[in-house]
Amino acid sequence: MQQSIDTVTLTEEQRDCYQELTNVAMGQAADRLARLLDAYVVLPIPKVSLIDIEDLRSIIESTNDDESVSAVCQGFIGAGIAGEALLLFNDTSFTDLARLTRYEEELTHQTQLELLMDVSSLLIGACIQGIGEQLEIHFNQGHPVVLGQHCNVDQVLKSGNQQWRRTLAIEIHYTLETVNVNCELLLLFSEDSAERLNHIIEFLLD
Amino acid sequence: MTKPAIEINDIHWLMDILQNIDVGLIVLNRDYQIQLWNGFMESHSGLSPQSAKGQNLFELFPDIPSDWFRKKAEPVFQLKTRTFTIWEQRPYLFRFKNYRPITGRATFMYQNTSVIPLESVDKCVDHICVIIYDVTDMAVEHLDAKRLRQEAQSSKSPKQQSPVIPFADANQWNLSLEQSLDSADTSLLMLELRFATRPPSQSNYQPKIESLVSKRISASDTASWLSSYHIGLLLSHKDDQQSMDLISNLRSDLKGQFSNLDCPSLTAGISRSKDGFPNTQAWQKSAANQLRLQR
Repeated sequence: MQQSIDTVTLTEEQRDCYQELTNVAMGQAADRLARLLDAYVVLPIPKVSLIDIEDLRSIIESTNDDESVSAVCQGFIGAGIAGEALLLFNDTSFTDLARLTRYEEELTHQTQLELLMDVSSLLIGACIQGIGEQLEIHFNQGHPVVLGQHCNVDQVLKSGNQQWRRTLAIEIHYTLETVNVNCELLLLFSEDSAERLNHIIEFLLD
Repeated sequence: MTKPAIEINDIHWLMDILQNIDVGLIVLNRDYQIQLWNGFMESHSGLSPQSAKGQNLFELFPDIPSDWFRKKAEPVFQLKTRTFTIWEQRPYLFRFKNYRPITGRATFMYQNTSVIPLESVDKCVDHICVIIYDVTDMAVEHLDAKRLRQEAQSSKSPKQQSPVIPFADANQWNLSLEQSLDSADTSLLMLELRFATRPPSQSNYQPKIESLVSKRISASDTASWLSSYHIGLLLSHKDDQQSMDLISNLRSDLKGQFSNLDCPSLTAGISRSKDGFPNTQAWQKSAANQLRLQR
């Protein structure tokens, strides 16, 4: 692959366009979440930004807690655009989530995992498919992987193809009204995918 | 999205691919009746597509926890979303034998599954497709690495001379039970504690008893609380006499640890994997029956 010297850029126009795309997609996702949980989901404003590896490190580090499962990531790829979705929960959310999804058992490690998987399937799937539909890209999703418990941050970030410095990230912060549930959905695109996405966005803007 | 145009002739080789691809494919309708059962599923389950077709999934495979699976499948019907399950949640959806029965180290096939919606012409989702992936090698390696890490950590702490085996949680217990079911010789012991007087609070007696049991078992064994007064033990390669010895040792340990009045009595039921049980429920039931006879 050709090493490009210039890193990913993001103009104000492009940022607005991503924000609009995400708005539509996450609206669909929030609708599904609301129907699953039978609760009112507060629609947030997505944050589109370029993040560097240190930002990501601190995000993943915050999940690296032995006691609880708190993050799931899932890869997606379509039309040469690849990225990962990362769903993070804070621990206090689980008790309320369990009640909403009618998990009667005790809140163990296992139930937390079930909850995390249920919600991530919904949110990640809906968001990615929603964005894909608008860009006319069919995204394939890989299997979710649990982070936090089994991962060493340094290893994850050092290994393999982590040659990137700054890349495109879309952050969506979901909260539920009246209950204490909040989770963060992070869509990260690889550096070359971000460039490709920018091209597609340019077409839409013209 | 463009749909590839499929010629009628192409259907033949598409069907061939469906039959030969090394992942499990099942199509289910709204009533969870099987509509498609591919070659992978046929080979591993021993059920032909003819006999599987039209059958209710949960009736054909009573092992599958229907509440759990419905929770994963209903959003696919209702919300047209995909759902996924990974082996960390449940090791498998279908209990199949390991693909490598000779050199593979797991007794069963670990599975990841995806459930995807299938839209009909009127854009409704009347069918779902369940895709089953064999992830045994990955799971076994993962569990090995985890065990090694734990061993390395416990060897770092110098205080512990003889290794004390910590109690397993319910999840680990079920996994061990599954793994031992097909093993040549594992004894399942169900221990019951009975207090003559009003039982003390759980936090009072459980740690004491836990440390007594932990000292008596070896690294290849598993122990777990099944309820407040029941302990499950999985002992590998112990005959009945050895198991009985362990129990009588535990009884004398208890006497040393508790005062006369508070000392719980210990009863045990033993059931061995070599007797052959169809599933873990049956195995546990047999041990529970033995326990009842001993009372």
